[in-house]
Amino acid sequence: MIKIISLTTLLLLTLNTVYAAEAGMPQLDPTYWASQVFWLTIIFSAIYFLIAKIFVPKIKGNIDARESQIRKDIDEANSLKEEADRKLQKYNSLIDEAKLEARKILSEGRKKINEDIQSKKEQIEKDIQKETLGATKEIEKFKINSLNKVNVISEEIISEIIQDIFKEDLNKSSIKATVSEVMKERKNQI
Amino acid sequence: MATNPMHQFNVYKIGPEIKINGIDLSFTNASLFMLISAISISIFLLLGTKDKKIIPGKFQLLSEILYNFISKMISDTAGKKAKPYFPFIFSLFIFVLFCNMVGMLPYSFTVTSHIIVTLAFAMFIFIGVTILGFVIHGFKYLKIFVPSGVPVVLLPIIMIIEIISYLSRPVSLSVRLFANMMAGHTMLKVFGGFVISLGLVAGWLPLTFSVALTGLEILVAFLQAYVFAILTCIYLNDALNLHH
Repeated sequence: MIKIISLTTLLLLTLNTVYAAEAGMPQLDPTYWASQVFWLTIIFSAIYFLIAKIFVPKIKGNIDARESQIRKDIDEANSLKEEADRKLQKYNSLIDEAKLEARKILSEGRKKINEDIQSKKEQIEKDIQKETLGATKEIEKFKINSLNKVNVISEEIISEIIQDIFKEDLNKSSIKATVSEVMKERKNQI
Repeated sequence: MATNPMHQFNVYKIGPEIKINGIDLSFTNASLFMLISAISISIFLLLGTKDKKIIPGKFQLLSEILYNFISKMISDTAGKKAKPYFPFIFSLFIFVLFCNMVGMLPYSFTVTSHIIVTLAFAMFIFIGVTILGFVIHGFKYLKIFVPSGVPVVLLPIIMIIEIISYLSRPVSLSVRLFANMMAGHTMLKVFGGFVISLGLVAGWLPLTFSVALTGLEILVAFLQAYVFAILTCIYLNDALNLHH
């Protein structure tokens, strides 16, 4: 608006001298109109053909190339991601399987060990029983033997004591009878 | 340089005089700056398309931003059918933009500040769009002058208004760009002249204005190129998709 006002005032100011000098608006002087249109046509046509045939396809090509590159990259990234997911799934399933197997092996091992322990235990118990039985028998045998030996020793001691004290020999069979009688009595007492 | 702020718009011939059938087609300073703009565009786009990188460099990024900007502008205003006209809109926008921007350099010449240049563009677009409309829709294209849902009584008046508005399209399109460019550059020149005439005492004030106006003019240079291109898209949309 300011421009238009100033322009009109300017025109009014220069109007006084418009007929006097070459001043005024050179735009309205038709001397070079044809020349301007002529050169404009040539130069603008040239620039139009340059732009239409060379520059616009080039810029468009650049932009399209970038877009397709970006699309390609995104597609690749997506496919990689899918593959990674698949791999992860596979890995997880492998781990699950391995865990299951480990548990199975563990339980099997435990069972086997338990069985082993059980059988060993039984074996040992059996052995112990056998040993105990043998030992008892031996003790029994010892007992009987020792009793017999005690009888014999007692007879000898008695005959020696009698010999020492009374200075005479008693016959051995009577001593034996007496000792066995006493032993029998003792045994009964016990 | 004279103090006349309009002096910057003078056209004078450079080199030999070229005359064909009595019409003067000499190479002028206007032609020179058209050529400079065209070469600048070529260099800019050449730098922008030199490397094909996935991660773009500065120039490649700029050219791709420009491409996407115009692509979005066309698809927003004229839809998918306007795809074949993309290079034209692109060239139009970038040419007007570079002409405006080259004009912002001191001692340069602003090609788009001449009514004949903008009118040539506007007439080309107007005639092209009209022919396109008739080729695509045949005589149904005349429906553009008959808005739907208008009472029959008002129809003649509306039609006249529509026809006038349609016919004034090239005028408004060309005058908008030309007047904006000329007014801006004239103002810059006037304020620049004030700096000299007021001298050291008060000259800093118009200098400040000058600096601010330069910023504004750069904005206007971009904005007018954008408006020019988007209006072309809208006219194209009318021809391609006959809504009304």
